[in-house]
Amino acid sequence: MKHILKYIFSICLLFSVFLAQAQDTTVTKEIIQEKTKSETKKPIVKEVLKDSIPKTDRYGLRVGVDLYKLTRGFYDKDYKGIEVVGDFRLTKKYYLAAELGFEDKTTEDTRLNSTATGTYIKAGFDYNTYENWLDMENLITVGLRGGFSTFSQDLNSYKIYNPNPYFGELPVITEGQKYSGLSAGWLEVTAGLKAKVFNNVFVGFGVQLKLLVMNTKPSGFDNLYIPGFNRTYDGSFGIGFNYTVSYFIPLYKKKVIIPEIKK
Amino acid sequence: MKKIIAFVLLFAFGFSGCEKDDICDANTPTTPRLVISFYDINIPSLKKKVTRLKVIGEGQTEGIVFNKTAIDETKYLTSGDSISIPLKPDVDTVTYSFILNSGSTNAALINTDVIKFNYTRQNAYVSRACGFKTIFKLDTQAPFERQPDTDSPWMQVIEVKNANIERENETHLKVYF
Repeated sequence: MKHILKYIFSICLLFSVFLAQAQDTTVTKEIIQEKTKSETKKPIVKEVLKDSIPKTDRYGLRVGVDLYKLTRGFYDKDYKGIEVVGDFRLTKKYYLAAELGFEDKTTEDTRLNSTATGTYIKAGFDYNTYENWLDMENLITVGLRGGFSTFSQDLNSYKIYNPNPYFGELPVITEGQKYSGLSAGWLEVTAGLKAKVFNNVFVGFGVQLKLLVMNTKPSGFDNLYIPGFNRTYDGSFGIGFNYTVSYFIPLYKKKVIIPEIKK
Repeated sequence: MKKIIAFVLLFAFGFSGCEKDDICDANTPTTPRLVISFYDINIPSLKKKVTRLKVIGEGQTEGIVFNKTAIDETKYLTSGDSISIPLKPDVDTVTYSFILNSGSTNAALINTDVIKFNYTRQNAYVSRACGFKTIFKLDTQAPFERQPDTDSPWMQVIEVKNANIERENETHLKVYF
């Protein structure tokens, strides 16, 4: 039953690829049709556009902080963390992006209690898929990141799994053991949204799908939580979420070249 | 753009193959039991079935359940050619009473052997869901010690087959009777 469900889900995913392509082609057709219509009707508008003040795009550095990680420490006693985010606009659509963070997380499982502490860095790029009107500067991005973390783990307490408790249940063993010098590397696919709320202040949120590519496990234990990667699963994937507030520091401006519509 | 969508979908495909990992699977090898096999003293290569064997740990009132489906006293009895008995994961010794022909109407047939097992322990990590397990190693000097009891022993020879108790699919002790 489990496997059948898995296959159905996989097939649905496969179909979704075709769905996306099918939509793409119809949309472009419509646009072409519209374009041909508008060309004949509005030659005057084009001239006005050319004469008006040219539109400029602002380029610069945006730095911010992840509010989700920052505020989580207030209500979750098992968590302390901070993440600084930054991006730099390279071209009209592409942004260099990086995140730098620290996390201290105690994971409470039914049979294990462990604390992971460490720092991480993620670097990559974002691609803005959003077409801004006039001087809007909003972003709907998809991007790629490479992540790396160095951390240590503390095994706080554990239980022995005994399927035959003839002599009664065993007590929890609270034997502190520290595993240090651990590291992990992963790839991320991100999707995010950033909106300019006022002046140069942006708020945004993003989700990340992660794929663990390198993981040095301690001998006699496992990496249950990797700072920056979050909880690990039996497979090598992970998920993440952030909610950011950032400030844009404009450095220079570029004129926007309005592409001329060819016949 | 299309490439990126394809990449995201590839990721999603990876997700679809995932399973829940916070329940300890019963098939996962965790803390093993001591496996004792019984052999014929006259033909040492031949396995021999015990009759109505009951095993009680020291300080326990009930025997080890060998037959979960049976009711009353019979669930503590076995007539097979091997048994699995748990060791104590928190101390280095365990003492068991092996009662042959338990509950027999003929009192002369009932024979009790008391044996103390000595071993060392080691805790090993299994998984997030299962936590840790304890693996044992029978003491090299005195893996077992016969304790004094009222009658002559029915276990004539006890032999260590495998001192490392890590899995339950192999025999650790051979008993000839």
